[in-house]
Formats: sequence, C-alpha cells, structure tokens
Amino acid sequence: MNLLVVDELSKRFGGVAAVNGVSFEVREGEILGLIGPNGSGKTTVLNMLSGFLPPDAGRITMDGRDVTRMPPAGLAQAGILRMFQMTRVFTRTSAFDNLLTAGMARGLSEAESTRRAQSLVEELTLGPVQHLDAGQLSGGQRKLLEFGMCFIEAPRVAMLDEPFAAVHPVMREVMAKFIRARHEQGATFLLVSHDMPIVVDLCQRAVCMNAGRVIATGGVHEVLRDHQVIEAYLGETHEGDEPPTLEVST
Amino acid sequence: MKAGPASLWRDRLAFDARAAVLLCAVLAALPLVITGPYAQGIILVSMYFAILSLAWNALAGYTGQFSLAPAAFAMLGGYTTALLDFYWHVPLVLAIPAAIVSTALLGLVLGKLVLNLSGPYLSLTTLAFAEIARVVIGNSHEFTRGDQGMHVATLTESRLAYYYIFLAALVLVLAVLYFMLRGRLGRFMTAVRDDAIGAESRGIDVVRVKMIVFCTSCAICGLAGSLYGTFSQLVSPELGLLQQTGLVLAMVVIGGMGSLTGSVVGALLVYLGSEWLRELGNVQVIVFALLVILFARWVPGGLWSAAVARIGRKQA
Amino acid sequence: MLRLSLDLLANGLIYGCFYALMAVGLAMIFGVLKIVNFAHGEFFMIGAYTYVLVALNFSVSPWLALPCAAIGGAALGWIVERLLMRPLYAGYASWGFMKDEYAVVVTFGLSLLLVNLVDKVVGPYSYKGPALIETSRFALGPVMLTGQKAIATVVAVFIMIALALFLKKSVWGKQIQAVAQNRLGASLAGIDATRTTSLIFAISGMLAALSGALLAPLVNPSPDVGSFPAIKSYVIVVLGGMGSVWGAMIAALIVGVSEAFFSVYGSYDYRDAFGLAILVLVLLLRPQGLLGQKGRDV
Repeated sequence: MNLLVVDELSKRFGGVAAVNGVSFEVREGEILGLIGPNGSGKTTVLNMLSGFLPPDAGRITMDGRDVTRMPPAGLAQAGILRMFQMTRVFTRTSAFDNLLTAGMARGLSEAESTRRAQSLVEELTLGPVQHLDAGQLSGGQRKLLEFGMCFIEAPRVAMLDEPFAAVHPVMREVMAKFIRARHEQGATFLLVSHDMPIVVDLCQRAVCMNAGRVIATGGVHEVLRDHQVIEAYLGETHEGDEPPTLEVST
Repeated sequence: MKAGPASLWRDRLAFDARAAVLLCAVLAALPLVITGPYAQGIILVSMYFAILSLAWNALAGYTGQFSLAPAAFAMLGGYTTALLDFYWHVPLVLAIPAAIVSTALLGLVLGKLVLNLSGPYLSLTTLAFAEIARVVIGNSHEFTRGDQGMHVATLTESRLAYYYIFLAALVLVLAVLYFMLRGRLGRFMTAVRDDAIGAESRGIDVVRVKMIVFCTSCAICGLAGSLYGTFSQLVSPELGLLQQTGLVLAMVVIGGMGSLTGSVVGALLVYLGSEWLRELGNVQVIVFALLVILFARWVPGGLWSAAVARIGRKQA
Repeated sequence: MLRLSLDLLANGLIYGCFYALMAVGLAMIFGVLKIVNFAHGEFFMIGAYTYVLVALNFSVSPWLALPCAAIGGAALGWIVERLLMRPLYAGYASWGFMKDEYAVVVTFGLSLLLVNLVDKVVGPYSYKGPALIETSRFALGPVMLTGQKAIATVVAVFIMIALALFLKKSVWGKQIQAVAQNRLGASLAGIDATRTTSLIFAISGMLAALSGALLAPLVNPSPDVGSFPAIKSYVIVVLGGMGSVWGAMIAALIVGVSEAFFSVYGSYDYRDAFGLAILVLVLLLRPQGLLGQKGRDV
C-alpha cells in the first residue's frame, strides 16, 4: 500500500532544474533508500517533502491526502517527520526535556510524553546524559536524541537525511538496531544516504537519482547493479570491462 | 540543582517560581522597614523596570526574539492612557486597560512584520520601530505636546498606595508568565529559541508561539508604561529612549536571562545601584554598560545561574 | 528649481560619500561574522573626538589629526574584536547566548558605554571641529560648496578607492574576501581566520572614525553624535544587501540623495524616521537588499 506518493516533483533554482519530474512511492512498512551522487537533487526532494521548500510543480500525497504545500509543522502533525543532516536538537534544554517537548509538540500529554521519554532514553542508551543540555552531547548522541524526538510518537513516515554520516561505529549500530526494531513494528522509512553498505543492509527498495531525475527504481540489489546507477556514481564504464559493482561483499 | 527523575525544565521553573514568591513577599513587607517616601519611590520605579524586564525576558530570554523596543512600548502604553485622559477624559479604570489593548495590537503588527526575520534583522527592525515611534511622538507637537510631554491623571496621590499597585502588577505579570511557561507554550518558547527550524519540523507552530509571546510582551510593557505615567503624572518621549531599553537589557542580562526571579533581582539591583551611582557622580550608565558586557562575555547566565550553580554544588 | 535640485543632488552625493565610508565597514563585519555592530556609531564618534581633540589640544594641523583619528578607530576596533568577539566563534555554551543575541547585547552595551564614557570624561558639550581647509563658500558649476565639504569628499572618495584596491589586490584583502565567503574553508586553506577578523574590525573602526573626523567640522561632535549616522548605516547596509561592500557604497549614495530631497520636499523633522521606514520596508519586501544574497538554510 502506498503511504507517500511523489508525483512529477520539480524545482528550479535560477536556470537550473535541481529536481526534474521526480516520481516514486514509499510503501507502508518499508525502508526505502533514496540514493544518488552529490548534487543529484536528493536533499532538495527531501526539503520539499518536509515542507521547507515549495515545489514548482508536482504533487505529494500522503494516505491519499494532498500535502504538497503543507508547512513543516503541519506535515509533522500529519506524521511526516524528518531528521536533518546537521542534527537539530534544542541545545539549551536537557536531552530528556528535548524528548518531552517533541512529544508534547505532537499532541501528547506531559504525563504520556514523560513515560515514553523514559523508555526511549533507555533504548537509546542516553541514560547517563539525559540531564545534560543537548548542546553538550556528542554528535552521535545528538543523532540518537533526534531519532528519539522523531519517534516519541510513531510517525507515518520517518525521513532520515544521511543519519550515519560521521557517526562513530558503535553509535551506528545503536541507530541501525533502533531502525530495525521500529521497522519490525511496522514503521516506514525513507533513508537518504551515501553509505552503500548501510543502504543494502537496511533498505528493501531503492530509488536512485542523478542530475535531478530518477534513473532507477526497484529492489535495492537490482538498483545497485543497474548500469546507469553505476555510471552515475563511478563515471563511464567501457565495453568488455569487468562490470563494477556498488555492493561491497562482506 | 539535584537532577530529578524527570524534567529539569519543570524543576527549574518550580524553583524559580518559589524564589519569585519569596521575593514578592519581601517586597510586600519592605515598606514596614523602609518608610521614607523617597526610598519607597526608588523601589517602586525598580518594580516598573522589573515588569519591563520580565516582558523582555519572556520575549528574548525564553523565546529568542531580541527586540530592542520594550521601552518604546512602555512609552506607547503611557501615551495611550495620556491621550485618552487628556482628550476624552476617559477614566483611568478604562484608560489603563486600553493601554494594554493598544500595545498588544501594535505588538501584533510589529510581530507580524518581524516574523520571518532572525537575529540582527529582528533587532534592527525593532530598533527602527522604536526610534520611529519616539521621533514621531516627539515631533507631533499638536497632538502630544512633543518633547515636553503630557500630563496624566493619577490613581492616587499616595506613594505607598502606588507602591502596592506596582507590586500587584508585578505579581500579576509573574503569574501570567508562570502559567504561560508551565504548560506546553513554555516548552515551545524555548524550542523556538534554541532552534526554530527544528521546532517547526517537530510540529510546533512557530508563528503562533512567536505571535503570542510578542503580543504578551508588548502588552506587559504597555501596562507598565501606563501605570508609570499615572504615577509620575507625566508621559514624555524619554520613556522610550534606547537608553531605557539598554537599562532593561542590562537588568535581564545581569539578573539572568533564563529565569523570572533573575529579571526582578536584576531590575532591583541595577536600578538601586544606578541611583546610588548617580550620587557618586553620574557614572551609572557607564558602570552598568560595563557590567552588561562583562556578564555577557564571562557570566552569560547572569547572577541567577551563578546562584543556582552554587546551590547545586551545596546539595551535591 | 533646477538649481535647487542640482544643489540637493550634489549635497546628497557628498553626504552619500561620507555615509559610504561609514557603512562599508559595517557591511564587512556583517559579511564575515553575520552580526550587526550596534556600537558602530561610536566609532564614528571616537573618530570625530580624536580628530577634534588632537587638533585643538596639540595644535597640530588638522591634516595630521586625520590619521590620528584613523589610528584611534582602528585600535578600538581591534581591541573590541580581541576582547569581546571571541564567543562568536566558539561552539556551544551552556546558559549562554547564541551568536546573534550575544552580538546584540554586547555591542549595544558597548555603544551605551562609549557614549557615556565620553560624556563623562570629555563633557557633554559639542565641539567645533577645525576645518581641513579654511575656504569659504565657492561655486562649482551650479552648486555651492564650502572648502571643507569639497576637500572632505575628495578624501573620502580617495579612501574608498584605496579600500577597493586593497580588498582586490593585496594579500590581506584577498584573505578578507576568503574568510567572508567561507570561514572554515579559508582556515583550512591556511588563512588565520581570527587574525583576519581582527583586521576587519580594525578596518571597519578606522573607516567609521575617518568618517567622523571628516564630518567633525560640519556637525560639531557631541557624545551622541554617532547615533544618527549609525542608524543611517544600518539602513544603507540593509538596502545594499548585508555583507555587500559594493551594495553599501551604492546604497549610501542613494540614501544620501533621497535624504537630501526628502528633507526639503518632505519633512525636515521626520527625515530620520524616513530612513528608518526605508529600513523596515526593505527588510519586509526585499530582505536581501540590492546586492545581497537570499537564503533560508535548512
């Protein structure tokens, strides 16, 4: 079942089409990878999906409802939540209070938010730092906190923007575990990432963009073997060469 | 500050509120000890500034909107009452609330203007607004008697009575702000302060939060200005001088930006200090400007945070 | 009618040059640090006072007093940056200010401090600044000028050209441009970003001080002489586009001319409110100004 449908989304900056007629769906309960080299337009798509950039053309539908021009707060209330590449937390509030505020922002009562925050703190191994100001946390801890803030009330779709970039491997594992656990409970993810092993590991399907357009959609393995995708990442291939692969065998 | 099992914000706010209640109790009892009208007058004026400081703190300290117009709104509130009294002989019972309404509306307009502005742009625009307001009022001789100011009626001739009127207003403002801060709005305010974009993406209606706080802050300034006008029986453009805003900034920065009690303490200390320094040789603005800079640079949490840290260490 | 208009135009352009001298420094600071220096008017004031006091007390030629003012402004700018502006580059600080707020509070406090300090130390009375040239009015085409105005304008233009050349051609100038564009990148490339920022503050202070010194004979400095020029500078920098030096220069001329016309055809009393109204309008309608850059970063 299609949860989020993106239809012919376009955006121009000056004379350049950063996003040009992009269409894909996010199905309920899946982890969809949005991949593509730098400058392919992934972040612009994400900014449009999260309400920070109005599209020039196209539609975004969620659960059948048109949310194309909804502002970020409205989208969050509707269950489309986003994590940022440069982590955004409330720096001068304690980590625990960050979670509380996020919960109350989604409409939970303070008591309910507190309960959920307490269990999230456990799950995210943030116990020792929960009373520190979020600004004092390490980068990885902040990412985990931002996760918690997205998930304190189950989102319909969680959009993660390069969540593993520059994160300590131990933190990575905690995050991956968290994503898998939520996924098993039925959560839906849109994962924007450069990190191929993670994409292969977590995603079932993938959409690859290049130069503002979608060049491949499908199961994650077939997308990563698609020669257009490989060319986009690695440059041109020549006839007769051993076909390169984007998958790293572990 | 012992780290409780749940919300630090809650705990800190509760502590702050208890301290504020204590402070108000002290202020209420003070005239028993301090009986001279001159001294009472000084504390009274510092309560005026305390109200302005609370208003500015709510906007800047808690919500991150560094407006440079608090004194201007006090002036506007004072003039609303003065004009209503002078031209239409409106009784103060109506003219003072009218000041609250007028400044709330003006705050609505200004707030809408600065909604999408951040940091220096916001400060610049509010500064421009404040100066325009002051210049326009100062130059409108036919309506406002310009720089000479206007006479205003008074509620009572008794200074002691006015002392308690201001104290009542202070308590009222503290109560209003406490209830705002205690619920969701308070959390959303600091969220907007710390990261407005992040707040938006978590579902907080940033526009609504900003507008509510802006209007409330302006209305509180208007109330203060109106009361002060009736007390001194005079309003003049001097109420809205940038220097007055500077004083308010100093009070909040020195007292502590993240707390209610801190603002009141800051106002008392700075104003009392400035009166004392005035006698020493008119160096009060120099000293306090210097203190603001020193505090901002090296003790950014103000006296309040230093005190809280002290108490926390003692309890640990 | 035409004669009046030409006269107003000339005067507007002349004052525009002085405004430009003052506004450019502010634009540079914003370009690099993304803050507004609310004490900018006080650099103007310090420059004016240095010029006047040096010329009067040490009986030196006004032409020597000018560089003294410049040095005074530069020194003050450097000191302010070193002592007070460090937290702007620091990361997170508990209980502390965010960058923008800190800058507002500190520079605002500095402004009040300087005004009242000068008021206390030197006195609140205004001084008559000695002119660079004691020529009385003469006519240049259809326009009436005084020697001071003419010479001051020439000096101002000269300084602007020197600044433009400095920024474009010298090593330091290029470093300034690099840091303004990308602080992190510049320091990765080996440029000492903090030293460059100190330099920018010093230059900004120097330019504002020179502006004050050149205008001293025309406006008779008093301690708060800097507040109106400061407000004009804010208007100019916003109009020109925060951070754009060229924008500031062009906007300064525009503001100078429109102010001249407004004060005669509009209302003299409200001419300052007029400038502020422009500021508000620009921020609302075209916040990036004429030459600035738009951006909502996510």
